[in-house]
Amino acid sequence: MHSLLLKSMRSRIIPTSLVTISLMASMVLLLSIERVQQATEEGFNQSISGVDAIIGPRSSSLELVLYTVFHIGRPTNNITTKTINDMKQRSDISWLVPIALGDSHRGFRVVATKPNYFDHIKYANNQSLAFSKGRGFADLSEAVLGSDVATTLNYSLGSQIQITHGSIESTGNKHDDFSFKVTGILNKTGTPIDQAIFLDLQGYELLHLGWKSGKKVFSLEDIALSSLPADALNPKTVTAAFVGLKSKLTLFNFSKNIREYPKEAISAVIPGIALSELWSIVGLVDKGFQLLSWIIIAISLIAMVTLIIASLDNRRQEMTIYRANGASPKFLAAMVIYESLVIGLVAIIGAVVLVTIVTYFATEQLNLTLGISPSFKWISLNEIKIFSIILFAGVLSSLIPAAMVFRKNLHQTLS
Amino acid sequence: MLQTLGLEYHYQQGKKIVFPEIELKRGQRLLISGFSGCGKTTLLSLIAGALKLQAGDIKFDHHEYSSMSSLLLDKFRADHVGYIFQTLNLIPFLSVSENIGLGIRFSQSRKSRVANLNQEINRLLESLGLEKEVLNTPVNRLSVGQQQRVAAARALLGKPDLILADEPTSALDSDTTNKFLNEVMETFDPSKQAIIMVSHDSSIAPYFDCVIDLNNHYA
Repeated sequence: MHSLLLKSMRSRIIPTSLVTISLMASMVLLLSIERVQQATEEGFNQSISGVDAIIGPRSSSLELVLYTVFHIGRPTNNITTKTINDMKQRSDISWLVPIALGDSHRGFRVVATKPNYFDHIKYANNQSLAFSKGRGFADLSEAVLGSDVATTLNYSLGSQIQITHGSIESTGNKHDDFSFKVTGILNKTGTPIDQAIFLDLQGYELLHLGWKSGKKVFSLEDIALSSLPADALNPKTVTAAFVGLKSKLTLFNFSKNIREYPKEAISAVIPGIALSELWSIVGLVDKGFQLLSWIIIAISLIAMVTLIIASLDNRRQEMTIYRANGASPKFLAAMVIYESLVIGLVAIIGAVVLVTIVTYFATEQLNLTLGISPSFKWISLNEIKIFSIILFAGVLSSLIPAAMVFRKNLHQTLS
Repeated sequence: MLQTLGLEYHYQQGKKIVFPEIELKRGQRLLISGFSGCGKTTLLSLIAGALKLQAGDIKFDHHEYSSMSSLLLDKFRADHVGYIFQTLNLIPFLSVSENIGLGIRFSQSRKSRVANLNQEINRLLESLGLEKEVLNTPVNRLSVGQQQRVAAARALLGKPDLILADEPTSALDSDTTNKFLNEVMETFDPSKQAIIMVSHDSSIAPYFDCVIDLNNHYA
């Protein structure tokens, strides 16, 4: 039956391949959405680990996570160092890493922090940050690069970099009176950390000594570092702080406590909750797309059945010749079902290949925009399930033309 | 070999045909003549077991059609009947030899009678007066006469007991008709096979052992 069927299909190659392509395209759509969604979710959830809470100015928790973890958007408010110091005194806190955001270097965000950042901030499943080259910063004139920054800008240990005020190169003013020396490059993490540059908070403060409201008032070149009072380089404010607690059991109590802190309007965000909140918004859009692509698949299957039914009239002679030579109506009906199976399988194989190519580029895009790079795979169990459903639906719907063929040929005058 | 008993057929339009009793022995060649619309094709389809019996019965050797399921009849047809249509006998997307091979595709017993398919196809083609080149010619480039010979080769392949031919010469001119019938009659094996051909053309009667005129039967 194979060779007869394949030759018969080849004789109808144009409509058959068009229907196959439309089915394949609709599957590509569904799978791409499915894959990008999974990859994004995975990337989202792996982007920060080991942090129990993020303390920041009181605003939406989503906003806080977006700029502290994903470096997207800009902080609207800062919190004072005094508050941070108060927090450090709390007995339930195990560690605290303050960060200050706002500056950039050639499009990459600058994260000013303390050297203990590299000890406490983890990614994926509690994996520690590690240096592929060099070490953390030990001096206010030293900097550490995320792995993408180093590869994209072709920097190595010892490179000198200057920081731009603000997050965009063209509009920001350069802090051209002070440069940092690269002392370390981090391993690739597949998180926004790869696209960040890390400085010491004191170095960051130093940059802004001569600045008022985003404008340079006097240059650092005129100032000797040693002449500065010791306290001058301790920042008055930071953007947020990552916190690790001694016991996770105190987490909810802790965040409630922080909200009730009397001296400043601050809040504590639990990254996992904020991420899933973020995901529930993104995921909703995704569900809509998913529904849409299932509808498109249904339409493609209807088109396939329509094609098969339409072709039956033209194949009357073919069928009658098979019948005259002893083929049973069952054989003819099986041929019709088999044809839908072939169309379905070809469409699936084509879709897997195409989707693999699409997701490859999509993950690259995801990495560029969100800094997350999800794992890459050929086919998942869930996708096999989807394919089985589609194949089953295709065969099921081909029962209509198959039954038509069977009935028509069961008792038929041979002519 | 073949015997029909009180065959009748009622068409959906209300027309009813009572067919004459037919008895056929191996080696016999029967011509059924009559104008179109007198039920010739219906009779052949009944004998081929493709059309459901309504009244009467057909006995083929020791088989009785009335007691066989349609699936069994399909298998029976595959094993015992070779069929030639009036026109459009060939499947356009298959080659000439694939078209001929269809004759034994659905029958193990006919397959087992063909030791070497290519050799047998060549023998049949030669016997039916076709050049070997037709094997490499696309089916739709063959002349009608060539197509009918290829169809005859298919019907004869694997030596089925009964050849049923439905006006196989109606699209041929008289010269070609005579050549075609000569070749078919020479190729068929009278010791094992029998032929029933229907035609409105009574001039071909000399090729047959007996003739049944459905129109006369009617009257």
